[in-house]
Amino acid sequence: MSGPEIWRRWALALPSVVVIMLFSILPLGVVLVYSFLTPGDFGNVKWIFSTEGWFSVLFERNIFDDTISLSDANLTILLRSVLLAIVTTMITLVFGLPTAWFIATRAPAQRNLWLFLITIPFWTNLLVRTIAVQEMIRSEGVFNRILLALGIIDAPIQMMFTDFAVLLGMTYVYLPLMVLPVYAAIEKFDFRLAEASYDLYASRFFCLRRVILPLIRPGVIAGSILVFVPALGAYVTPRIMGGGKSMMLGNLIDLQFGQGRNWPLGAALSIALTVLVLLALIWYTRLTSGRKENDHV
Amino acid sequence: MLDIRGLSKRFGYGKGEVTALHEVSFSIAEGEFFTLLGPSGCGKTTLLRLIAGFIGPSGGSLVLDGKDIAAMPPNQRPVNTVFQSYALFPHMTVGQNVAFALEAQGRPKSEIDPAVEKMLTLVQLLHLKNRKSSELSGGQQQRVALARALVAKPRILLLDEPLSALDMKLRKDMQIELKRLQRETGLTFIFVTHDQEEALTMSDRIAVMSGGRVQQIATPRELYDRPANRFVAGFIGESNFLSGKATGGVVEVAGGRIALPDATDGAVTLMIRPEHVVLSANAPDALQLEATIAQLVFFGTDTHVHLTLSDGEKLVARVQNALHGGLSLNEGDRITISLPDKALRVVKDEEIAA
Repeated sequence: MSGPEIWRRWALALPSVVVIMLFSILPLGVVLVYSFLTPGDFGNVKWIFSTEGWFSVLFERNIFDDTISLSDANLTILLRSVLLAIVTTMITLVFGLPTAWFIATRAPAQRNLWLFLITIPFWTNLLVRTIAVQEMIRSEGVFNRILLALGIIDAPIQMMFTDFAVLLGMTYVYLPLMVLPVYAAIEKFDFRLAEASYDLYASRFFCLRRVILPLIRPGVIAGSILVFVPALGAYVTPRIMGGGKSMMLGNLIDLQFGQGRNWPLGAALSIALTVLVLLALIWYTRLTSGRKENDHV
Repeated sequence: MLDIRGLSKRFGYGKGEVTALHEVSFSIAEGEFFTLLGPSGCGKTTLLRLIAGFIGPSGGSLVLDGKDIAAMPPNQRPVNTVFQSYALFPHMTVGQNVAFALEAQGRPKSEIDPAVEKMLTLVQLLHLKNRKSSELSGGQQQRVALARALVAKPRILLLDEPLSALDMKLRKDMQIELKRLQRETGLTFIFVTHDQEEALTMSDRIAVMSGGRVQQIATPRELYDRPANRFVAGFIGESNFLSGKATGGVVEVAGGRIALPDATDGAVTLMIRPEHVVLSANAPDALQLEATIAQLVFFGTDTHVHLTLSDGEKLVARVQNALHGGLSLNEGDRITISLPDKALRVVKDEEIAA
């Protein structure tokens, strides 16, 4: 390739490189710098170096005797975020896989209709959708009224502001993100292989475990990442469904930049979240590239 | 051992209903190499899929060892298939592919490992045990598919055009290999193909199918020598057809006459194989006809002589080439040919359709 040719290729890539630098890398740098500064009195930061923000991610200092202890509140939220994101991923997989299977096994003309139906919620504002779910499960909501009217329960079940509510909201919101990549993988699956496995005495479960799942694994991993990453940093859903009782990382960060007036801690938490996501992505690439290596042994 | 009784299959419903198989009945004996032969769309693959259990019949029964298996799912039938596309599991090694059936049956590892090695030895692929199945050549994949289908010792092995994806040379080798495997295992094979040569060379018996019906079931020799109707005669080997008129057991064809007791009065079709046509007048008990040589085509082992009869009908004769000298025939020659009455066969024009 000649010199001008290389230059032209770079020139073509330049706009996207500029956009990424300006709106992604640079702000991340700002956040990183802020995490090592001192909180201002009314929000913002003072330009004095401090590791207090990072320290506060996991620890807290007793204001009377300066003893150091683990920050129970932050740890709980961190643990809850990771757990809720994992459970959301698992639930969307359990519901999404059969859904994707159903769509992929329809006649080709019908598949587009089903895919269209799956993507409809995307067109609605996240806030509106989440409030719709809230309407279903709140104490005076649809479910409780039906159960009360049927005489199954005497008093409304408290479902709002629990981990269950957050899970329900997130499962609902992120389900299409699981269905679409899994569908794409199943659509490419050679159904003659399933036929061959039935012929060779495999039960349905054996076929699923030994033939179908290994072959649609890339789609399942992609879907899991697409659900896990935004679920880990979810903000709107836990805010509405979990309130102050079932907070997640996103809400904690928001708190530090708002009422908490602790921008360095908020920045440190943001970086911590980014690192968690990065770890998930590294795990993902290792899973998928490991598969490719196996293919060429 | 396998009795197929009035088995039928319809696809679709209402006006779109298509009958792929019309009440087919026959039996297959233990240890037989049985072939379903016919053009595409004749119902042979439908019949095979019914036996495998991938589809259920619309009517009739399928009795294996005295037990009706028509409603049994494929994973409970002691029947395994070698697929046209092989359908090897691409994420598994050769050994894992072969072990699949035994693992699905929940057999212990101590039993699986030796069985897999034995099967791979049988198909001469033991050295490739740890290769991914996607890295094999077509012929090797074919043999893995065979080993995979044989490992659980099925009562019947179904083969769905397994050689069609291979090139000519490999196909010939695999034909011999398949026959050897069948002899060594003593298994019953049901083989589907549209290749008549393949069917003739390998089978104990052949069912010729057309239009969802079995036209004839016979040994290769019988099929070739005594085809039941024009379709079978045309599909198996090469045939000449002559139309004539029969009166009292004597048939009149293109200016010649011959006594054929089989012929019923009225219009009849006579069939003769190209190699049975004699290019001279001196053959006893033969129909003698005047013909013009339209074309001579050299085929190596033999020469095809294209003839035009006095009434314009065409006929092909096949003459074996001698070591010395060619035929003393030239294009455009007018000669008298003989069709021996033993080689002439009255065939029904219509296929079995009712």
